[in-house]
Amino acid sequence: MERLNLTTAPSSSIRLSGISKAFEGARALDDVCAEIRIGTIHALVGENGAGKSTLGKIIAGVIGPDTGTIEFDTTPVQFASPRDAIAHGVTMVAQELALVPTRSVLENVYLRAEDHFGPFVRTRKLRDRFQQLSMKTGIFIDPSSIVGELSVADQQKVEVLRALARNASVIVMDEPTARLATDEALGLRSIIKRLREAGTTVIYVSHFLEEVLDLADDITVLRDGKVVSSGSASGETTGSLVELMIGRTVDTAFPEKSFPQEFDGPRLEVRELSGSGFADVSLDVRRGEIVALAGLVGSGRSEVLRAIYGADATTGGTVMIDGKKYERRSPQKSIALGTVMLPESRKTQGLFLNFSIKDNVSISALDRFSNWSFVRPRVESTSVSGFLDDVRVKMHDMSQPVGGLSGGNQQKALFAKALITEPRLLLVDEPTRGVDVGAKRQIYDLLTRLAQDGLSILMVSSEMEEVIGLAHRVVVMRQGHVVGTLAHDGVTERQVADLAFGKPSADTEL
Amino acid sequence: MTISSATALQRRALHRGIISRYAILWVTLALFVGLAVSTPGFFTSANLTNVLHQQATILIVAAPFTLTLIAGAFDVSLSAIYVLSPLVALQVQIATGSTLLAVITSIGAGTICGLLNSIAVVKLKINSFIATLATSFIYFGIAYVVSEQSILSPTEASFRDLSMLRIGPFTSATIFAVLVLVFFWVLLSKTRYGRYVYATGANAEAARLSGVRTELVLASTFVIVGAAAGFAGILNASQSMSARATDDFTFVFAVLAAVVVGGTSISGGSGAVWRTLVGAIFIAILGNGFNLNQVDPILQRVVLGLVILLAVGIDVISKKPAR
Repeated sequence: MERLNLTTAPSSSIRLSGISKAFEGARALDDVCAEIRIGTIHALVGENGAGKSTLGKIIAGVIGPDTGTIEFDTTPVQFASPRDAIAHGVTMVAQELALVPTRSVLENVYLRAEDHFGPFVRTRKLRDRFQQLSMKTGIFIDPSSIVGELSVADQQKVEVLRALARNASVIVMDEPTARLATDEALGLRSIIKRLREAGTTVIYVSHFLEEVLDLADDITVLRDGKVVSSGSASGETTGSLVELMIGRTVDTAFPEKSFPQEFDGPRLEVRELSGSGFADVSLDVRRGEIVALAGLVGSGRSEVLRAIYGADATTGGTVMIDGKKYERRSPQKSIALGTVMLPESRKTQGLFLNFSIKDNVSISALDRFSNWSFVRPRVESTSVSGFLDDVRVKMHDMSQPVGGLSGGNQQKALFAKALITEPRLLLVDEPTRGVDVGAKRQIYDLLTRLAQDGLSILMVSSEMEEVIGLAHRVVVMRQGHVVGTLAHDGVTERQVADLAFGKPSADTEL
Repeated sequence: MTISSATALQRRALHRGIISRYAILWVTLALFVGLAVSTPGFFTSANLTNVLHQQATILIVAAPFTLTLIAGAFDVSLSAIYVLSPLVALQVQIATGSTLLAVITSIGAGTICGLLNSIAVVKLKINSFIATLATSFIYFGIAYVVSEQSILSPTEASFRDLSMLRIGPFTSATIFAVLVLVFFWVLLSKTRYGRYVYATGANAEAARLSGVRTELVLASTFVIVGAAAGFAGILNASQSMSARATDDFTFVFAVLAAVVVGGTSISGGSGAVWRTLVGAIFIAILGNGFNLNQVDPILQRVVLGLVILLAVGIDVISKKPAR
């Protein structure tokens, strides 16, 4: 792959130089330099969390970089807002669609770009414009249908039309096919190719490598927020891209893994579990074992975890805990059975941000601290403070609101909240999301220690290091199915990535 | 930063917290003292016990309604339950002559109404404001049918004692209100159930994943507040020795005013029963002060409206957890 030569500046290109961005202390992008040629399809690829979506959002002005510049034809631009970016002809089709679901296609496409006569919208003129747009792009949708009633694929098309209606010459697409069926994805691909023929520049963020190879003229590969390569797509293969994306050694920030001679019998047995977003999932977690559920974002990992916990309904299959069939699952039954889940988003699913640390930690275990129905404050405080110490939450005192803690300490408080129920099976979704490096190591130590004490852990993680560094076994999911299980010795990132990205197993050997 | 300056900062923050957190309490105390000093006839046993008596039915409903709001829901149908329940109860009283049976019937009718509300909100998942608006119409309609569009009066003169019996300086209605307040105060602040109510309103998804049966908690607040409205309704009928279907459809607004002026957030997750008590007292002595000073009643309403705007506005601006 050709390296970028930044000294010669071709006239029609978007140049990114020195772009860095951090979220809550965690570095998402680090000194990113790349060149996007006008009129091409430029793919951004990388593992979960490599920073590809962040980079896409920065290009579209959805978020601003901490440092670095974006130049359009050598003119530096700075977008203060998406609206600003639109004025420069740059827009984004986001992963989460931003349409007004209750209004018509026509209204959505021309929202804030209406032809008007005084305060009146000139609907007929809009319809004419819409028809021209349809002819130009080959996207045909009834302009009067209500957006909320359309399929996801059609909604995506509406987003594309809306982008074009604003005369966008650069469109950033973030995982546009992630939620589409195969034929719909193919349809979108041909639309994207048509856009390129019409001179539009498409920045295509995706983790479907075959799609990327089919579409892209140029590819920028990101790893841990850094550009590992940027240049022409020709000559690249799925294998070479995966190589570039991972190519990193597990650092020593992980505690020693201890493998007991033999794990005592299974604590959790899942058989052919199916539900929304996954099907026929079978897996076991034994006593004292850490099993990682790996896979790409959207592969159904979190859904499986939530289904086991009873947070979401399932359509088939069985769950056994400690050898007993566990039916009619619900979070509160799970807790009673010694199973607790740390949800993916601590802010929206895990914590009550306005409540005190104490009230947060004790909520799932109040029956332990109450006589009849009355909470015994002293017993509660003693127990809560014990668990907070155990997970090393830094705080003034536990009556302060949990929302005032740093991300790492909030996450540790979330662990205390789970552990206070004295679980035997811990379901953890993204144990270190949005957590600084120091707290990460503490959480890793904690998980390892808990497993040594006999706790069984089923962990979903998008951080490959974590999966490799912590898990005794790795169950890999792809598009809602388990595609392989890798046992402890010698699990490599390469193996996991190949399974997760769906690379033919014949190529697995290096 | 040195340690001493850090603690000084903390102390200042703490003081600020005490001032803002208990603001409604200080304002109410100031108003009370101001009226006691300036207005003859205010600080007398007869006046104050009378003010309390007048607030009794509002407090009996406002205390559990605080729980409904904290759980993140709203109940417009309280006026209708407050009107319907005593009508059903008085028909029973007229048929049997029993005051006790009438009280039980009124509470029972309120409970059933609350149960229907909870089904509409929790099972059918209709927005609580709309669901209870709809059931209001139904309950008022039933009230017309039950009363046969006439004024119902109890057959026994002793029925009045339910609310008007003197116990020391207080009326029985006041005593009931105090008991109900204490009950819900303790329930909300000292029990597991109370914690679950806060959790449900603050973040329903997190509460559910924490093992809280959020639907049951939410439903229970509707049933409880319905029962309370039934009880308040029969006390009201006892005070006036009559009931009719056209009674007091503004009742829920008086109840809501007490709750929000106290500082309980209508977006759920924060608030307290003591706040509702203080809010109700504030509104009551404000009105009482106006009356004693012979302020135009129309102006009184305008001022009350401004007070509610101010109270909720402060709540929105400060966005501090009120607990």
